[in-house]
Amino acid sequence: MTEPSPFPTPRRDLCGAMHVHRRLLNESMTYRARRAQIENRALQFESGRRSSARTGVITIPVVVHVVYNAAEENIDDQQIMSQLDVLNQDFRAANPDVSKVPDVWTSLVADTEIEFGLATKDPLGGPTNGIIRVKTAQSAFDTDDGVKSSATGGSDPWPTDQYLNMWVCQLGGGLLGYAQFPGGPPQTDGVVILHRAFGTSGTAAAPYNGGRTATHEIGHWLDLFHIWGDDDGACSNDDRVADTPNQADANVGAPDFPHVTCNNGPNGDMFMNYMDYTDDAAMFMFTMGQRERIDACLEGARSSFTVASQQAPAAQPAAAAQPAQPAQPAKQPVPAGGVTHDGDVERLLHDSERLTREVLDDIHNMLGLVGHRPSG
Amino acid sequence: MTGPGRPEAPPDVTGSWVHAFEEDTPAETVYRRADPDHPFPPARRPRRRIEFRPDGTYTERRPARDDRLNEARGRWEARGADRIAVTFPDGGGSPFTLTVLSRTPGRLVLAR
Repeated sequence: MTEPSPFPTPRRDLCGAMHVHRRLLNESMTYRARRAQIENRALQFESGRRSSARTGVITIPVVVHVVYNAAEENIDDQQIMSQLDVLNQDFRAANPDVSKVPDVWTSLVADTEIEFGLATKDPLGGPTNGIIRVKTAQSAFDTDDGVKSSATGGSDPWPTDQYLNMWVCQLGGGLLGYAQFPGGPPQTDGVVILHRAFGTSGTAAAPYNGGRTATHEIGHWLDLFHIWGDDDGACSNDDRVADTPNQADANVGAPDFPHVTCNNGPNGDMFMNYMDYTDDAAMFMFTMGQRERIDACLEGARSSFTVASQQAPAAQPAAAAQPAQPAQPAKQPVPAGGVTHDGDVERLLHDSERLTREVLDDIHNMLGLVGHRPSG
Repeated sequence: MTGPGRPEAPPDVTGSWVHAFEEDTPAETVYRRADPDHPFPPARRPRRRIEFRPDGTYTERRPARDDRLNEARGRWEARGADRIAVTFPDGGGSPFTLTVLSRTPGRLVLAR
């Protein structure tokens, strides 16, 4: 579906690409450097020059900030648990509706081997149920990160390199949620979800009561782009994932298969992908290529979660689902000679240190450019 | 800069508007006045927001890759009876012209 707009389509040049991330770019030169590094790593994974070293499932600790004004926005624990259940199905390709994937794409269905559990320890090591409830005077929040700070009526994040922060609140303007890509400011890192689009029970309302808004936003948090490439209906940009067809624009609702755009016939758009804009009941898959990008992220910008998960494999999350049967075996290189997890962790730590050095070098170089070439 | 109150009485588009894409037609893009008392139905596609201020400043909040609304600031001026020219003197976008098909206090219809 092409967004009806009298506004010009952005050019697909460097300026256009920068424009997409304008707000963050304006705030931080370091964001630009970090995004470049993250994209480089993702490209290395996609091209096969690097592959995932992790073995087994990663569990990501989650803290849910319920920020409410009206009483109904103070959603109950059951609704939160229903959202965790959906995440633990969707990211393991254990969702029942994965059976609806068209035959032509079943071989692409990916078990990302990621699970999510409500945190059992707070940042100081004390026990917690992973749920924070904050009353606010704000009747609704926007996409300006206001819900992420107590100073603006929200709830401050827990350390964003240790927890996936999920804020659940009332959003204005009909918004369902928004995310932050890896590499952004740590104090606003996480995802925000409208309470009516969170989980499958309580205030969750059709057609967004399947918990897929969080699946979609966490996809962004793990560095996935929209499947159509955010090019306003053009066919010139894609999601930087090779196994997802190039498609023109976002699909909404529940399209009929096939929906052909951008000469992507006969199978057309992969509108059942979690990174499209279809209804909850109409999206039910990640691809192997998307898993490659996620793996690159989890061994790059978000490696702290991989290290923590593999260093403490016995720490079971409060809400992790039973191990699921993946629909397809995930691509998972096994280190030759049975290399231990310790070796993998060492490699990840080394990579993290190298990434930090590279970012600092980039910043240094940029400052040098600014100092010596003021005209750009 | 020609202000919004020029003699040929161009359409008064001043104010904040939110894309009500459910009301679009093949030839029209429909905006509704931003009003907390008029909640828009939830939609996965974020709604573009535009604001024409009386002082000639223009703010556009457009859907971005992470489902946020990214802001671009520029200038607007009326061009005749039904045209609005938007420019971005400080960067942030290419200039463009909007054609106003109709406007009521609560509804603004632009040509696609």
